[in-house]
Parts: sequence; C-alpha cells; structure tokens
Amino acid sequence: MRRLLAMLLGAALLLPLALLLLLSVSRQWTWPVLWPDRWQLRLWHDLLSDTAGIASAVARSLLMAIGVGLLATALGFPTSRRLARHRRRGRLLALIHLPYALSPVVLAVGLLFVFLKWHLAGHMAGVMLAQLIFAYAYAVILLSGFWNPRTDALVDLARTLGADGRQVWWRVLLPMALPMLTVCLFQTFLISWFDYPLALLIGSGQVQTLTIRLFEYFSSGDIRLAASCALLLMAPPLLALLVNHRLLSSAAAPHLETLDD
Amino acid sequence: MTDRTPMPLHIDGLGVDLGGHRVLQGVSLAVAAGATMAIIGASGCGKTTLLRAIAGLLPLAAGRIALGPQRVDALPPQRRGIVYLNQEPLLFPHLNVFDNIAFGLRLRHQAERTIRQQVDELLVQLELDALAPRSPQALSGGQRQRAAFGRALIVAPSLLLLDEPFSNLDPETRIAMQQVFKQLAHARGITALFVTHDLKESLRMGDHFAMMHDGRLRHYPDRAAFCADPATGVAREASFWSDLAIGPAAAPVPQDDSHA
Repeated sequence: MRRLLAMLLGAALLLPLALLLLLSVSRQWTWPVLWPDRWQLRLWHDLLSDTAGIASAVARSLLMAIGVGLLATALGFPTSRRLARHRRRGRLLALIHLPYALSPVVLAVGLLFVFLKWHLAGHMAGVMLAQLIFAYAYAVILLSGFWNPRTDALVDLARTLGADGRQVWWRVLLPMALPMLTVCLFQTFLISWFDYPLALLIGSGQVQTLTIRLFEYFSSGDIRLAASCALLLMAPPLLALLVNHRLLSSAAAPHLETLDD
Repeated sequence: MTDRTPMPLHIDGLGVDLGGHRVLQGVSLAVAAGATMAIIGASGCGKTTLLRAIAGLLPLAAGRIALGPQRVDALPPQRRGIVYLNQEPLLFPHLNVFDNIAFGLRLRHQAERTIRQQVDELLVQLELDALAPRSPQALSGGQRQRAAFGRALIVAPSLLLLDEPFSNLDPETRIAMQQVFKQLAHARGITALFVTHDLKESLRMGDHFAMMHDGRLRHYPDRAAFCADPATGVAREASFWSDLAIGPAAAPVPQDDSHA
C-alpha cells in the first residue's frame, strides 16, 4: 500500500514535468494523439544560444535570486538574534509577519509609488529590494527558532571554556546554525526565483526575469516556449533540493546510530 | 596539559540582583586548592545563580571573587579560567565526541599533534575512546556527561562549577559518574563547587560543605558540623534509614503453625 502511494505521489510530481519536456521537444502534437507527431530541438537550441533572450532572463533571475537569498540570510540571522533578545519580541515578530499579511500585489502597488520617486522602478536593484522585503521577513521568522535557551546555554558554556565573541560566532553559532541557514538560503532564493508580481510591477517591463518571459509566452499562446521556460524555472530548485537533501541526510546520519552505555 | 594550576577560591560578600530583587546576599566562602565544596539547597534558593555569577555569566551587585592571589570578578567569562557545567550535559551538536573534547584546546590554538595526544589520553580515562567519532546525538546520558567532563577538564580550569550535573542520570550511572568525577578531580587537583540537592551525593563528593537557603550561604567548618545541623536534613535521612533497617527486626516474626 505504501509503495503504491509512493508511486502515485511520484507520478503526480513527475508527469507534469514529463509533459512539459515533451511539449518543449515537440514540433507537432495534434489532439487526440497521445504522442507528438514530429520532434524538434530548435527551441532548446534557441534558448541556449539566447536567440529569444531567455538565457539572459535565466542569468538575470539566477543573479537576483542568489543575491536576494544571500542578503536575506546574512541580514536575517543577526536580526533574528536581536529580536529573540528584545523585550518586545512578540510585538516585533508580529510586525515582521506584515508582508505576508498583505497580498504581494497590494504591497507591490504601494512600493511602486515609492520606488518611482526613488528612481528604483524599472531597475533590477528595485525588484531585488522589493523581493528582499519578503525574503528578509521570511528569514527572520525562520531563523528566530534557532535562538532558544539551549543555544544560550551552549554560548555560555563556550565562553567559560575560553571562547571570545568572535570564536563564539565562528566556532559555535554559525556551525550550529548551518543546516538552518542552508534551508533559509534555499527558501529565500526560491522567493525571488519564483516571484512574478513584484518583477512585473516594480520591474515595469524593464526587468525581464524568467517568470516574466514564461507568462509572456503563455499569454501569447506559445505553449512550447512556455513549457521550455517552465522547465528552466524548475531546474535550479530541483537541483538545490537534491543537494540540500544530500546535505541534510549526511548531517542526520549519525543520529541513526544505536544508543548504548 | 594544564595552562592553569589549581587555585584556592575566596568569595567575599557576593550579592546578585535579578529583576530588581537581591537574590544573593552576602555570600562568602573559601575552598582550598584542589578541594571540592558541596553546596546543597532546595530548588530556587539561588544555587545556580551563585555558580553563574562566579563564572561571570551574571553581573555582581556586590562582593569580590578571587582565585589564588588574583581577583577575577572584573574579568569576562573567557578569561576567568572557570568552567561552568550545566545540569544537562550540553555537547556541541555539530562536533563529534573527539572534537567536543578538543574544543577548548582549539580555542587556545594548540598544535594539532598536542590536541590529538591529550584528547586520546583523556578519552581512554573516560572510557570514551571507542566513541570518539560519534555524534553527541548518538550517545547515552552518561556518555554525554563523561564527554562534557572531558571537555571541561582538558582546559585544566582553575575552578570547575558543577550545577547538579548528575541529576538527570539513572541511579547506577549516577554513582559511576560520581566515582569518575572523584578520581579525575583528585588526579588533576581540580578545585570545584558541586551544587546538588541530593544529600548523599553532597556527602560523597564534598571536602567542604555549605547549604544555601533563600539566597544566603551557610558554610560548615567540617563534615561533622554539616551532619549535625538539623537544617541540612542529614540527621533526618540517617534516622529514616536506621528506622528502616531496625524496623523488620523489631517487628514480631509471623509464626507458621500450620504443621504444629
């Protein structure tokens, strides 16, 4: 039964991807034929040679997502520490949920007004800044869970063992937080990578990300190019998920050893 | 191995404020170099606060702390040479047993060959040599506590503060750990404050004795004075066990006369 469920789940995840792959290499696929009539690799050739500007969009999206992920994680970690020690922790934590309480579209409209004044609209930096608001809030919320009495006790212990402030960070806090920081980096990367409304509104058509190109092809009825873009959109998260899974699995492996005294 | 020698501890008129209240008041004590002072007291009487203040993890409102000739109360925790061991055997989760024990030596930038030699030697003494590559999560409570001891002892602290270190262990492991501590503390001449709420443990572990009540410390001149004070509960405990031992003998033995 469990095997059947696993197979069903696997099929539910893989079939849409397989369909996208078939679409991206099909030249003619007429209803109700189950298999494409004619094949082609022209779309992939065009994509890789950047004839349609998609390779540039991929590079731009990657650059933005990596930048937003790194910045959100790097800023979120110390902020979450300050927040955990603040006497109004509860109120501040509620405040940091605010970007998620509002719809991204509503926030984007509000931001657009400000960003136009600051000459940030239509620029990659403006879109990244808007995405960073969401990603940073997410990072602070996620990393707040790291700061607990046990972490404090380990820090105190390290200090009595001779660790100065810098050693506490480099030898205790950062290595201990590494799995959580990896997850945070991955998630905040995805916030930017999959973003559409902020890129659309703040980018004002000037910042061509992969999601923008995908929706353009989709709305113009070019389903094969849209499928190719969708596959490209899925690639980095799948790769990151695989790497992340391996990292987390190897970190968890020693936990599986048996206990004896 | 040592970067510090055992030091006598002198505390005079120590006071600590928490949340606007004086929770420790006029605490004074003296422990000879290489000796262990056992401190008993009920939960919430200020035992942990005392240890944390001595370690430099809480600010002092009054008093002075000296290790040998040097006052340490103005120094940050990392420069006091005082290691504080928590009730829970806290090991760094990202390091294996070997690296946990080597932690203090690496902070001091010791040569890797020296570190390996010292850690290997201590692992054998603690009977943890086979577990050196294991993650802390794969250890039992007793093993974790031994590793935590090793990590504290390897930096040869001038003073070791133990905050009910065996309270979470089962009785058998607890006795084994008490013996391990006694042996290692004696062999390495460790000066220690051992806080516990267990009377028997305090009598086993201590060379000096004190009792804490409501933020004040009563220091006894010797073991006899500690046992004689009704407030410590030693007499009550002895009486309980004595009654229990005498009870069955004093009670009438049931006669089986079915074969009479």
